[in-house]
Amino acid sequence: MNQSTAERTDVKAAPPARRPVLSRIAAATGPATGAIAGIVILTVILALTQPVFLTWGNITNLVGANSVTLVLALGATFVLLAGGLDLSIVAASAATGMVFGLMLQSGADALPAIAVTLLAGLVFGLLNGVLTSYARIPFLVVTLGTASLFASIALLLNDGKTINVFDFPGFAFVNDFVLGQAFGIPFILMFDIVLVVITAVVLRYTKFGRGIYAVGSNAEAARLNGINVRLTTMLVYVIVGFTAALASLVQVGRLAGAAPTFDATLLLTVIAAVLIGGTAYTGGEGGVGGTVLGVLFLGVIQNGLTLTSVSSFWRGAVNGIVLILAVALGVARQYGWLRFGRKGR
Amino acid sequence: MNASEPALIRVENLVKRFPGVVALDDVSLEIRAGEVLALTGENGSGKSTLSKIVGGLYQPDGGRILVDGVERRLANPHAALEHGIVLISQELTLAPTLTVAENVLLGRLPRRGGAVDWPETRRRAAEVLAELGVHIDVERRVDSLSVELQQEVEIARAISTRARLLILDEATSSLSEGATLRLLDIVAGLSARGVAVLMITHRMPEIYASCSRAVVLRDGALAGEAPLPATAEHELVRMMVGRELLDYYGSRVAAPAGVVLEVEGLHTADGALQPVAFEVRAGEVLGVAGLVGSGKAELAMALGGAIPARGDVRVGGRPLRLGSPRRAIAAGIGYVPDDRRREALLPPRSVAENISFAWLGTITRFGFVRVAAERRDVAKVVADYGVKTSSLDKRITLLSGGNQQKAILGRTFARGCPVYVLNEPTRGVDVGSKSAIYGYIQALAEKGAAVVLISSELPELIGLSDRVAVFHHGGIRAVVSGDDLTEEVLGAYAVSGTRPGDHPSVVISTDTPTSADTPTSAVAGAGRTR
Repeated sequence: MNQSTAERTDVKAAPPARRPVLSRIAAATGPATGAIAGIVILTVILALTQPVFLTWGNITNLVGANSVTLVLALGATFVLLAGGLDLSIVAASAATGMVFGLMLQSGADALPAIAVTLLAGLVFGLLNGVLTSYARIPFLVVTLGTASLFASIALLLNDGKTINVFDFPGFAFVNDFVLGQAFGIPFILMFDIVLVVITAVVLRYTKFGRGIYAVGSNAEAARLNGINVRLTTMLVYVIVGFTAALASLVQVGRLAGAAPTFDATLLLTVIAAVLIGGTAYTGGEGGVGGTVLGVLFLGVIQNGLTLTSVSSFWRGAVNGIVLILAVALGVARQYGWLRFGRKGR
Repeated sequence: MNASEPALIRVENLVKRFPGVVALDDVSLEIRAGEVLALTGENGSGKSTLSKIVGGLYQPDGGRILVDGVERRLANPHAALEHGIVLISQELTLAPTLTVAENVLLGRLPRRGGAVDWPETRRRAAEVLAELGVHIDVERRVDSLSVELQQEVEIARAISTRARLLILDEATSSLSEGATLRLLDIVAGLSARGVAVLMITHRMPEIYASCSRAVVLRDGALAGEAPLPATAEHELVRMMVGRELLDYYGSRVAAPAGVVLEVEGLHTADGALQPVAFEVRAGEVLGVAGLVGSGKAELAMALGGAIPARGDVRVGGRPLRLGSPRRAIAAGIGYVPDDRRREALLPPRSVAENISFAWLGTITRFGFVRVAAERRDVAKVVADYGVKTSSLDKRITLLSGGNQQKAILGRTFARGCPVYVLNEPTRGVDVGSKSAIYGYIQALAEKGAAVVLISSELPELIGLSDRVAVFHHGGIRAVVSGDDLTEEVLGAYAVSGTRPGDHPSVVISTDTPTSADTPTSAVAGAGRTR
């Protein structure tokens, strides 16, 4: 009711005039403005106070340390965009990591071991997907249940023991990939970039990706316009399972071991990164670009805490506060600063 | 009316700005006790902004508000309530998981000895609802009710407070004809008791039936004030849109050709739609009338594949397997649902995406969206269907209801279907946009589409349809065409399932001045609610 004059301007069929680069960036990253501001401020502070911070060694360390989070967060972005949530993602990753460890232990080559691990991830994802979309069980219930199930599977696979994979023949390839580099650029950074580009293209330029946004925005409208809502929802969970397996490969590669237990705060970090990046928990809004920024922001915070020798016990507190502030910023952006009353839902 | 007595509410020189827009520009008006004042204008003219300021939801950027001649600051809805101002808006503000009784008396539950007096709560809630003529179990949870009944609960809550000014912001937009009529009766009753009512609506019959004066806004400014019913309808419409609306319903060269849509024995398992049979020819508009709950909405949903249904439906001779929107689309049925926000819009997405997501099957190649083609086709829809937006990338929810609806209709019409099923295509749309939409429907039929138009506005059906099928209790009771196509005949079939005269108790209100080229809408007879 209150934007009448803005609408009076007719749109011409011609494409909109080019806008200045800065405002284009601002428009493209709109909801992630908080994350960007946070990264810039932290970077300036750390660069001025910690000489180590801007060294190439620290930066590659930062990338390596956050690759697992990034891969998981890319998967979580899909599911949040579709209006769901996957609480089993970290547990699934632990279980697929154990599958990878067992495969290597059995003397398998790297490629078959990787293939079986990814397949396991797809199966885990398929289970979540079928239960949420076709059996119509609420996603929180399903993924809470499967999180527990996958965690158990991870323990059962090798009787709760960590598998030290360093000496197995199949591991060399993975190890080289995760820790190696070309022209001074770590392979893992290239891997991250490729993965980000692929997911961004899928979400923005494919029928499937557009379907995800439609389903997350309004599932009934999507259904009435011919989008296969159940299939889309199911595939989203399959993708999450796949990224969980990918993340486990990176994790095993970095640690040279497959552990049946996992850091319980990782799930929170992953989801927080996606939300800080401006993806709406209500679905249909956000994207991969924001998620990268969210992961980077939390990674820089973590790096800063390490460099300044602050106890790692603070990490959860800082992540939590940042999450709430970032989402509050998003809400404030949407509803207007300090304005009471709603301008429509 | 004592002129020396200060007005109940007087607003002076109100200004309200939103980022980039002046929503209200120097608007003044006053409302006296017992007066029923219509506030009208097109979507986006500032009606709701004004009502939200008076209701305490928004703070003005300039101007002042006087209650009983004393300047007051209405900082929030609670402050407004203390002055007896109650706002009922389009958006429901009920607690969905609480019972009807709790909602009616929300915040004012009667107590006895510190605990809530539940028998008294139920009794008082039932009393208020009975006053409204609504009979629902006060123990039911509000989210188990239809939207229409929820609206009535909201109204019951409002009238159970000691309101001195009741603001009804499009309160009738989701009500059936019968419920609307009852609400208008209540408005008259409240007015007789000295309560002032500010009615925000663009439904002409309601304005003429209830109000003694109309204030018209256009683009945030006062466009005029008119005494009622002395001012003719076309004069009022001219004030609203700023120009003369000639040929309101448009016209087409009627040349219905071969049968495109054949329906036989179409019904739903729950009995809401009982077996119906009809045919629609190419170039023909079949109107569908009926009260809420008569089965007309189910017919639309069944044809669109939105709900499971059984029966024999053929499009161009080919049988359609029912129950799937995807199959309906593939068969060539373009379905537009009646509930824009729940069934048609992607609220967080842009205008462009809201249009193109409906074409994902056709604008993709090998799974990839053909971006250039998408952009071009979206721009064409926006231009062809007059969607007013400053950018294709703007959030669709920032557009007015009329422009949202044009985008939804445009994306469906752009599919080039042989059959269209349009369920209430002009609901919640201002007169200017309505007239434009009528023109698009006429053009569809002229180009050879078979159109099924489901509507609760009889004048719209009469103005556009070749024939009108009237639903009553789940089935088609009559198919009316030619000289019989009048509000009296349609209204009688809709209310009682029989012709006028056969049923002497049926009363149709047509005591409003109308002219051929202006809008009127159906407020026909005493209906029933689900």
